[in-house]
Amino acid sequence: MKRFAAALLALLLFSAPALAKPKVGDILPDLEIKAAPLAPEAAYLGLAPGSKSFRLSQIKAEALLVEIFSMYCPRCQASARSVNKVFENLTALPQGRKLKMLGLGAGNSGFEVNAFRKQFEIPLPLFQDGDYVLHKAFGNVYTPTYMVLKATPDGKGFQVLHIQEGPFGNGEEFLENMLRVSGVQ
Amino acid sequence: MRKLNAFILSAALVLATPICLPAPAQAIDLKDMIYDPGQLKPVDSSLKVRPGQMAPDFALPSTTGEKVRLSDYRGKKNVVLSFVPAAFTPVCSDQWPGYKLTRDLFEERDAMILGISVDNVPSLYAWAVEMHGLWFPVLSDFPHGAVAKRYGLLRTSGTSERAIVIIDKKGVIRFAKAFDVNRRPDLGVIMGELDKLK
Repeated sequence: MKRFAAALLALLLFSAPALAKPKVGDILPDLEIKAAPLAPEAAYLGLAPGSKSFRLSQIKAEALLVEIFSMYCPRCQASARSVNKVFENLTALPQGRKLKMLGLGAGNSGFEVNAFRKQFEIPLPLFQDGDYVLHKAFGNVYTPTYMVLKATPDGKGFQVLHIQEGPFGNGEEFLENMLRVSGVQ
Repeated sequence: MRKLNAFILSAALVLATPICLPAPAQAIDLKDMIYDPGQLKPVDSSLKVRPGQMAPDFALPSTTGEKVRLSDYRGKKNVVLSFVPAAFTPVCSDQWPGYKLTRDLFEERDAMILGISVDNVPSLYAWAVEMHGLWFPVLSDFPHGAVAKRYGLLRTSGTSERAIVIIDKKGVIRFAKAFDVNRRPDLGVIMGELDKLK
């Protein structure tokens, strides 16, 4: 019984960060995105052409702005064009080469992510997470959720610099805030 | 030592609690109105229909007040019967807004969705309004889920499965499956089956 309880405690201590909703300062693992980026997405993210999968740490950026979304989520649908605008404004700035955006479709298949991309002409990279693996690692947050992540000095994980559940309202203020919290110059 | 063991066991049980709780609802627009039943038995019925047979006809009341008869679509549209377990529950409250977004994909395949639940008309009406309206009929299989039962899609709880039945313009069933009630069916699977009708 003692060994079982100790093993269970150890297991849960190590897995707890992935179960709880993340907060600023938490360290998330360097997750693997098991989806092939489209050619423009690979170019934007600085990934090797033809990549079948990649880790967040392989993205050429100082910080990441990640949107957890779902094609099925009405608020994600309502926010989609505002997110497009944020991406367009960010990439027009010099800081846009340092803070990179991407979206992860919680519970969405590749087909569903493509449908969402096509419906709203979404220019930012979007990737499927059909089995909710990434969504669980991000703490089962509601959709949409926006997070700013920065690689830890040892390169083994990402520190949460900002987390925001729900639509962001004014896109210009949102972008300004994301640039500020990310620390990119 | 006994106190230490008790502490370790208590800490382990406290930490274990979150993984025993249901995942949070994914539906956001309605999240304050959503009842989360937690994880359910994935499938709790046995299909009574199969591809190749004529689809059993039915007529059910819709949220617009009209009765909708399946056979009225014969010769006109392919039909996707989308059975969902219950209004105002997490997965269902995302599924049909997804079909609302992708209306053009269904229309490109000359398909009409008939959304079916065992909820009564007033509940379905309120739910459809909360989803800001839907482009396809929402039908009530209240009170006893007679249509769901006839198709072999009635769960022991009295709700229907989360199922997709695809019927061609001749009224023949071409695809029928009860999916895991806790997950949305992959839209790619539905479109792939509709593509086979072309």
